[in-house]
Amino acid sequence: MSTISLQDTHHHDSHDDHGHHHETFLTKYVFSQDHKMIAKQFLITGIIMAVIAMGLSILFRLQLAWPDKSFPLLETFLGKWAEGGRIKPDFYLALVTIHGTIMVFFVLTAGLSGTFSNLLIPLQLGARDMASPFLNMLSYWFFFSACVIMMGSFFIQTGPASAGWTIYPPLSAVPTAIPGSGMGMTLWLISMVLFVASSLMGGINYVTTVLNMRTKGMDLWKMPLTIWAFFLTAILGILSFPVLVAGVVLLIFDRSFGTSFYLSDIVMGTQVLPNEGGSPILWQHLFWFLGHPEVYIVIMPALGISSEIISVNSRKPIFGYHAMIYSLIGITTLSFIVWGHHMFVTGMNPLLGGVFMITTLIIAVPSAVKTFNYLATLWRGNIRFTPAMLFAIGLVSFFISGGLTGIFLGNAALDINLHDTYFVVAHFHLVMGSAAIFGMLAGVYHWFPKMFGKMMNAKLGYLHFWLTFICAYLVFFPLHFLGLDGVPRRYYAFTEFEFMNKWLTVNVFVTWAAIVAALAQVAFLFNFFYSIFKGKKAPQNPWEANTLEWTTPVEHLHGNWPGEIPTVYRWPYDYSKPGAEHDFIPQTVPFSQTMSSNLPHDFEGNAEAEKVQKDWEAVNKPTQEEAE
Amino acid sequence: MEFALQQQEIKFDAKPKKFVVWLFVVSSTIMFGGWTSYYIVFSASKGKGHGLVLPDAFIYSTVVLVASSIALYLASRALRNGNKANQQLFLWITLALGLGFGFLQFQAWTSLYQSGAFLINNNAAISLIYIVSGFHLLHIFAGICFILNSLVGSYKNIPTEKAVYRQEITSIFWHFIDILWIYLYVFLLLNS
Repeated sequence: MSTISLQDTHHHDSHDDHGHHHETFLTKYVFSQDHKMIAKQFLITGIIMAVIAMGLSILFRLQLAWPDKSFPLLETFLGKWAEGGRIKPDFYLALVTIHGTIMVFFVLTAGLSGTFSNLLIPLQLGARDMASPFLNMLSYWFFFSACVIMMGSFFIQTGPASAGWTIYPPLSAVPTAIPGSGMGMTLWLISMVLFVASSLMGGINYVTTVLNMRTKGMDLWKMPLTIWAFFLTAILGILSFPVLVAGVVLLIFDRSFGTSFYLSDIVMGTQVLPNEGGSPILWQHLFWFLGHPEVYIVIMPALGISSEIISVNSRKPIFGYHAMIYSLIGITTLSFIVWGHHMFVTGMNPLLGGVFMITTLIIAVPSAVKTFNYLATLWRGNIRFTPAMLFAIGLVSFFISGGLTGIFLGNAALDINLHDTYFVVAHFHLVMGSAAIFGMLAGVYHWFPKMFGKMMNAKLGYLHFWLTFICAYLVFFPLHFLGLDGVPRRYYAFTEFEFMNKWLTVNVFVTWAAIVAALAQVAFLFNFFYSIFKGKKAPQNPWEANTLEWTTPVEHLHGNWPGEIPTVYRWPYDYSKPGAEHDFIPQTVPFSQTMSSNLPHDFEGNAEAEKVQKDWEAVNKPTQEEAE
Repeated sequence: MEFALQQQEIKFDAKPKKFVVWLFVVSSTIMFGGWTSYYIVFSASKGKGHGLVLPDAFIYSTVVLVASSIALYLASRALRNGNKANQQLFLWITLALGLGFGFLQFQAWTSLYQSGAFLINNNAAISLIYIVSGFHLLHIFAGICFILNSLVGSYKNIPTEKAVYRQEITSIFWHFIDILWIYLYVFLLLNS
């Protein structure tokens, strides 16, 4: 044992040396290789991007609610994009495109996985840092450059990309198609290549760390569900993002060099383009082979985070720990064979459509397993309604109400009616948009003390939760009805079509709800930034949780633990164990210290330990009963 | 006990980093898988492939690349036997063969171009030959950087574990791009 501690101290000392001699503002806050700092960088960049994308959505919601009204203020801010105070059709398309891109990739992929995988993988597994801290730093700066380039496209003459976040060719492949197909599209592609590189570096790092750098005793089946979720998410990313790269490379060649991978028979005005023989459907195949796993890349970390938070705050073990993991694995596997359900109306062979329909509907099974397990964990729990807990429960609510409409859309026959309508918009904004952002917010409230050593204000948290929760439903629920009535998504003005006119009042209502929801975020932003500097100082383990991150000191240090890395003896969910002194037993407490609460299955068939326990019970248990 | 722990410390350092290279190999494989599946779906729906007789240069380049893999294997073996001079020699040979491979690929493109099979083509299957061989060549460039890294380490007499680690990641990557090229070449031969 002494050898271990000696070596560990040595290890740590070298870190300290490093700290005292070389750490400048630049290496500590900017080009940091410390996973905790990189997590904060991802989080704050993610929050800024989320605020921007939310702002964009308010702009196009204004257009949808009052298509004929003039807002002179808009012209002041947007200039020629809103001449006469009305948003131009081209700019409207750019707004929805960039809103989607930022939210899906920059906020809910990088902001969510980047923040919490970086923060929690080393801390919850008992590692000093990531497998490759340098790659980790690079991952953040690629992400940052991607953000800057994407935002930069707002400042060019022809405006940002406008072909939707799925950038289907030919709009994305012919630079002269619409204004947004020009320079804006090029910047979008550059930004996305950087983003994919960042995601891959991050993902490779996460998987490597999880598989190679767990502390002593932390076998895979003792890992918290957060780690399982981040791990499987990273695997999904590694397996699917390269396909997007492959597709994007071909798209770039079509755009810039004149190949015909996705183009055929196109007439621009009076001019026939020379490209022959390609097929835009092939882009959809390559895109959605990434695109569908991508939505699970978005939701799975949120599911993992809420598993942890719901268990901690119900003061109960998570219900069905193994089932939770197997359902995550099930979702991961199935996500690769369902992409066709985005393409039911592309003239797909009905038999193939049937196959994709079946695989899609099977995903409902692991999803339902997870939902029921959340509810069973809450059932008769000793619930503490912290803001994090509320957001985690909010996630479960959105996951159910959004998931149910997924069963409608997964049906090839129903999808013919519902495809590309507001029904789809309502579905994914609930099940992956709202649910994932609630998971992310839950994580922020829960791990804020770990990140900044301060507590967030709970009252502002409650205000933030209730306003956001109610308004999110008010925004997205009515959209189902528009979709059922056949109102297509991405249309600029509802006044242009007779049958859409009657939905204008609903749009006004939805826009007001969106504005209130946006204002509610001010409560969060104030709470977040104020608490970083002026918040109440956090105790070491504010939520009385079992996982390893709460055994580290409140003050951050490079290397995470001052001495030895703690050893893990038990799974992370020993809450309210009968016979135990407290209602939580951290993972670092050996069974020898909790003789009164040990159960036979704790020993996993270790005969010696079982015998020791039996001997102890023979001596101690009867006396207890006599005492009673 | 002490010995065992120290062993662990050393292994602890290299193992995750080697794993990173393996994962990169996986993701890169999938990227090429994306292109070849594009090819399969494209040629199935159009009822035609690239329809070319692939230039002979591709055969020569394949032979050269396989030879380079053998040379790299010999370099690794020399390092294991503690023979640094031989390691360096074989690394230089690998490097030269790698550059030779690059040259032959350019030859192949030239003869494709001269036979009228241009990159800008209304048969996307032909364009794809350029794409996959081009991106494979980018991997060769990265592989050459790995070889140089190994060589520099060998000349600078870095500690043995580090030298072994550099040699190992070079091997993983170089053999991978070797096998990858064989896959691509055979794929293009079979799906003409």
